[in-house]
Amino acid sequence: MNSAVHPPARSASAVGLCVPDRVSDSVFAPARLFGFGFLLALVLVIAGCGDGSDVQYVTIWHQKTGGERAFFERVVDEYNATHSDHQIRTLYRETEELRNLFVIAAAGGKGPDLVFGPSDNVSILALTETIAPITEIIPDEFISRFTSEGIVSWKEKKWMLADQVGNHLMFVYNKDILPSAPQTLGEMVNMLDSVTVDLDGDGTIDRYGLTWNYTEPYFFIPFLTGFGGWMMDSEGNPTLDTPEMVAAVQYLLDLRDKYHLIPGSTDYDTAEAMFKTGRAAAIINGPWSWSGYESAGINYGLARLPFNEKTGYWLSPIYSAKGYSININTPEEKYPIVRSVVEYLTGPSMQTRMADELATIPVVESVLDSDAVRENQMLQLSLSQVESGRPMPTQPQLRQFWDGMRGPYQLIMNGAVSAEEGARLMQAEVEKRIRDAFL
Amino acid sequence: MAAISNISEASSAERRYLRWFLFLLLAPTIVLVLAVVAYPFFFNVVLSMSNMNIYHIHDWKVIGLQQYAAVFAEPRFWEVLFKTVVWTLVNIVFHVTIGVFLAVLLHQSFVRGRGAWRVLLILPWALPQYITALTWRGMFNSQFGAINLVLTKYMNMPAVDWLTSPFEAFAAAIMTNIWLGFPFMMVIALGGLQSIPAELYEAAEVDGASAWSQFRNITMPLLRPVMIPAITLGIVWTFNNINVIWLVTNGGEPNDQTHILVSFVYEAAFTAYRFGWAAALSMVIFAILFTFTQIFLKRTNAVEAAY
Repeated sequence: MNSAVHPPARSASAVGLCVPDRVSDSVFAPARLFGFGFLLALVLVIAGCGDGSDVQYVTIWHQKTGGERAFFERVVDEYNATHSDHQIRTLYRETEELRNLFVIAAAGGKGPDLVFGPSDNVSILALTETIAPITEIIPDEFISRFTSEGIVSWKEKKWMLADQVGNHLMFVYNKDILPSAPQTLGEMVNMLDSVTVDLDGDGTIDRYGLTWNYTEPYFFIPFLTGFGGWMMDSEGNPTLDTPEMVAAVQYLLDLRDKYHLIPGSTDYDTAEAMFKTGRAAAIINGPWSWSGYESAGINYGLARLPFNEKTGYWLSPIYSAKGYSININTPEEKYPIVRSVVEYLTGPSMQTRMADELATIPVVESVLDSDAVRENQMLQLSLSQVESGRPMPTQPQLRQFWDGMRGPYQLIMNGAVSAEEGARLMQAEVEKRIRDAFL
Repeated sequence: MAAISNISEASSAERRYLRWFLFLLLAPTIVLVLAVVAYPFFFNVVLSMSNMNIYHIHDWKVIGLQQYAAVFAEPRFWEVLFKTVVWTLVNIVFHVTIGVFLAVLLHQSFVRGRGAWRVLLILPWALPQYITALTWRGMFNSQFGAINLVLTKYMNMPAVDWLTSPFEAFAAAIMTNIWLGFPFMMVIALGGLQSIPAELYEAAEVDGASAWSQFRNITMPLLRPVMIPAITLGIVWTFNNINVIWLVTNGGEPNDQTHILVSFVYEAAFTAYRFGWAAALSMVIFAILFTFTQIFLKRTNAVEAAY
């Protein structure tokens, strides 16, 4: 047994470890160790305390882009400038990423206080119990001012309060190239043909009549409806392997391969760039993009998507509300400030400003009926498109539809399979994905 | 050794306190490793045996090995596994070949401005993968991308549907990843080359060995201990590299035919919310990589000294 006190030559201090001969003097002495631990804890506590102020924050995750995002950031700054006790913090996420990250964060007891997105998110968020009914925070008196489209319900509960309805596709055209918009598909082909040109004579088309993100199923839906088809039946079962689907896809193939009126391949960003740089006379896009065209200096006009004279159907886009839902983890003590923020961002004055500056369709009755909205020609056009549109399905399996349709649809568009085979594959893929989702 | 023996001769009280102090120093690391490695790993093991999905996100329960059975029963699993192996092999072969070739070239005394060349060649690695992948995606656009413009205008070749055909899209992702990955191998090989004694080459020259013979009999064997761990790392990284494949092919387009296993997992977990199934697949990926690295390192004697 070693004694407690060692000759210096045999102690650890002799090898430069600064271990004194007496334990009570050592840095390892209990009192010093506790002191060191206390200091460490103090540092961590101080570091974790932030600025120590009493300001509370309402965090919002959103998917607003372009001009809408710039507007949103501006009005948030205005709110923050007039409220010293609480502030709004915002974080942008792309739509899909926003929903996924929110589900994961909220399921783990975290996430923002509010999440802003399209109405088709609601069923997934409600199903995963990651949002609370808005009626828990927002009083009925405030909610009653909204139109039925402005309150998104699922399974008899209200889950989202919208600041707009729309999210719908329209025919947007560059008036400097295409003086007016077509009313029918037949007219559209003729008009687009007249503005699709090879400007430098090198054998390649330099300006197309029309472009849009036609490789994405959401942007294909107006053509499906224009040929009398739809994605699902009333039970939510896929109805994709139909003659209507085949005819609609074939029509797009003809626009591209037979008439050469649309680019051979594209995606959202390429289509946007083409329209903004005058390399396409028209684009099919939604309200989120319009202020961007104005900023790009495009002299643009809006029109309803054309009528299909062969089937007797209008090309009908999907429309949906976009709004705010409350994270189920938002603590009750924050309810008053969260309510204040929601009322500010969805209230009549905000929706009036949005209608005026962003041309979004309001969902507060008094704003919708106001002279400012009734006399706004662009808004009325947009409204007429919504009135002829199809509401976004609220079934949670909608995700499986988009993902299941995308692949086979792209196979058709790149010529790997025929329209008939593609429709069959779409049906099979969506059915498989819906089945798999339960595993 | 003397130091250790002296410490071992310290009093038991001193040793006890020394152990406590060392434990205190290690504690933050232990806590961190437990929190960010051990806990997620074991939670993933549990998830892989559960029915957690969008319909059971809170009320999930353990259901045994059903998810593993479902993974192996999924017809696309084997196809995606095959693509992942191709993806990894092709990338690594090009990373190593280009990396070592450039390193040997930059190591030659006749190359002027070697510092500048090194900086230039490291740039693809230094730039964020995200930016590079999206830039390449733009360049692969069939109508407006730079690659097809070069092919059609300057090489008189037909345009290629890079992003809309499965094979071409997969090839496009591989090309992007080759561009991103060779600088790492080049840097490692350069380090290895600098540690090879010049006397060996001088002796070889005296013996009349050709440049190829010198490369084959001196450079390659002596680079081996440096390159094997780097290749092992490269294989694991490439096998699990979701960024490039996801961004270049826009999430597996066309028709989910450009997935590798890790993007397949991501899609199952975060677009279909099949958490249990995705966790089971990720455990399968872990098993594949763990087994591979153990065998690879053992067979190549990677930890043996070169000299």
